[in-house]
Amino acid sequence: MSVDIDAVLAEARARVQEKRASGAFGAAVDAALSAPLPGGGPLLTDELEDPVGALGTVLQEDIGYDATSRRRIVGAPVTFARKSVISLIRWWITALFERQERVNKLVTAALVQQRDRPSPGYDARLRKVEEALAARARDEVAADLHSVYFQARFGGDEPVIAAQAAQFVDLFAGRTRVCDLGSGRGTFLALAKERGIGAYGVDLDPRMVEHASGLGLEVVADDALAHLRSLEPASIDGLFARHIAEHVLPGELVAILRELRRVLRPGSPIVLITPNPATLTVGAHTFWLDPSHRRPIPPELFRFYLEVEGFVRVSLRTFEPSDERLNEDVPAGATRDNVRLLNRTLFGDRDYAVVGFAPEA
Amino acid sequence: MTAVHQFHPVLAPGDAMSDHVFALRDRLRSWGHPAEAYAIEAKPGVSDVLPYRRLFRTVRPEDMLILHYSMGSEVFDQLVKIEARRVLVYHNVTPPEFFAGVNPHAAASARLGQRRLSELVPRIDLAIGVSEYNTRELTARGFAKTASVPILIDWARFDTAPDEAVLRAWSGPGTKLLFVGRISPNKRQDELIRLLAYYRRCIDPAAQLILVGAYRDQPQYHHRLHALARAIGVDGAVTFTGPVSVAELVAYYRSASVFVSLSEHEGFGIPLLEAMHFGVPVVALDRAAVGETVGGAGVLVGDKNIPAIAETCALVLERPPLRDALVAAGHKRLEAFATDRVAERTREVLGL
Repeated sequence: MSVDIDAVLAEARARVQEKRASGAFGAAVDAALSAPLPGGGPLLTDELEDPVGALGTVLQEDIGYDATSRRRIVGAPVTFARKSVISLIRWWITALFERQERVNKLVTAALVQQRDRPSPGYDARLRKVEEALAARARDEVAADLHSVYFQARFGGDEPVIAAQAAQFVDLFAGRTRVCDLGSGRGTFLALAKERGIGAYGVDLDPRMVEHASGLGLEVVADDALAHLRSLEPASIDGLFARHIAEHVLPGELVAILRELRRVLRPGSPIVLITPNPATLTVGAHTFWLDPSHRRPIPPELFRFYLEVEGFVRVSLRTFEPSDERLNEDVPAGATRDNVRLLNRTLFGDRDYAVVGFAPEA
Repeated sequence: MTAVHQFHPVLAPGDAMSDHVFALRDRLRSWGHPAEAYAIEAKPGVSDVLPYRRLFRTVRPEDMLILHYSMGSEVFDQLVKIEARRVLVYHNVTPPEFFAGVNPHAAASARLGQRRLSELVPRIDLAIGVSEYNTRELTARGFAKTASVPILIDWARFDTAPDEAVLRAWSGPGTKLLFVGRISPNKRQDELIRLLAYYRRCIDPAAQLILVGAYRDQPQYHHRLHALARAIGVDGAVTFTGPVSVAELVAYYRSASVFVSLSEHEGFGIPLLEAMHFGVPVVALDRAAVGETVGGAGVLVGDKNIPAIAETCALVLERPPLRDALVAAGHKRLEAFATDRVAERTREVLGL
């Protein structure tokens, strides 16, 4: 008969659970199991982790030497000889020992003082490095640029946002807790509310949150990734995120997708909209109109991110055709084909959406 | 015939290392090789051991010099200068971390032992680990030519009548949890005492823990184990036997209900096999070489979940089919460690 060890172990663990439940395995047993080994430090502690503390213990150790030899016949003379030698050199050893003891204690004390002493030079340098790092992070996205001016000049074409929201809102029909990351002025949320879809928004900008809340919409002020991390597993059933992905670094985007897999209920849809760099006038020019854009995301890459993070039925949709195009009204043949190719490449759709679903359980 | 000289710093009766040296010496002699054992210190009770200084004048270049390594000693540095075929048999050095905060002398000597081992690398022609675990360490330390050969155990020495006094003392009711091995922090007898506390409160109030093994080398740890047993109220149920004779050891195995090991570090783990030899089921924490020695002939546990390990022992004992299957697997497992088989393998690897 072969033994199913795993089954035996599982049964043993189940018994422990039963005894927990019945109270037989109670606080008294816990106390015995976690009782420290009396008489000194715990086992398997690395003294190098607390060298100063360990030094204190080492200094207190008593090192004895038993000069007695237990060998037959020669034992007694050997013992006598050893003891004689010890008594001859004792005063010298003691002097050496006491000096070393003093050195050890002084070194320990010096170390302790050094550890606890403030070090102004070091702290000042550290502060400089921290400030430089923070400045670099701000400069990277021109955080000091007044977003009011920026919004007035380039931002938020309301009819475009409304049209995009309308294009995808039906995908969320019947859902009760859809999250809109970067909800802005609440265009998508208002539309969802109209259609009877339960939705709420998350935005980093407190003015946006104030504005949307004023319209009676549920919006929280938080960072996208931090917000997702704060959610319970399987607590939302849809995600809409327009023009968020290009504001984060690739690693953060992957982290957001990974968190989404955790917090989305099975079968929930996700829609992420971002500028389409496959259209060269976008990738080379308009994308960079916003200094807080980190880097363009090619559609094929975004699709790949979703697929490797385990989303299913992933598809791409492009929209927002360019206003300006080359005239295709030219003789059929090579010329027209070339003009069309140029139109696609230079003046194609300006935005795209990647759509996917959390897998069914 | 090639003369084979074996060395280990200390040779003592009832010590696994020494038994291995003597068993191998006897085999070598039976194959017709002149064979001797050498030590710096031969403890009372062993005979036919030569002082190591003789090695410097008796070993000839065509001889084989086997250095058994389980502790550091400056003598190794000298011995590896002798012209001969130099073989190292590595029984493992317990890592110093296990002695930190308990026994600084043992920690220092373990550190030294590990460092000296690395220094021997260029002077060793063949390095043998007594387990794959040990061989991996040898390879990691840079030994070029390595092999794995288990410890040679002379099973015939257990064909002796068990000690009557021990048998009588342990004939009463109650589960007898047995562990055999030196009292040492790496063997985690403290965890066994905690396991006993769970066993007595949740499974069998009459359960006893028998810790067979010498404690003189680790007086601090031994003292603290007593204090722990008192602190958690099981001091009457823990027995420290100290060193035992073969007849007494046989009697302990015969009396035991189950062999439990929570050891964190074993270079081989002979008592695991001895338990199998005596038909005692084995429940062991899978650490270091324990897993490969047990080899599926016992319950190996990966997680150190003491209550679950205690319940596992109880399950094995209350289910005769399970117990019998483990015992049968143990007997089968021992075929791999049969004296003749290991002796042949040793001969083959040594090229004798």
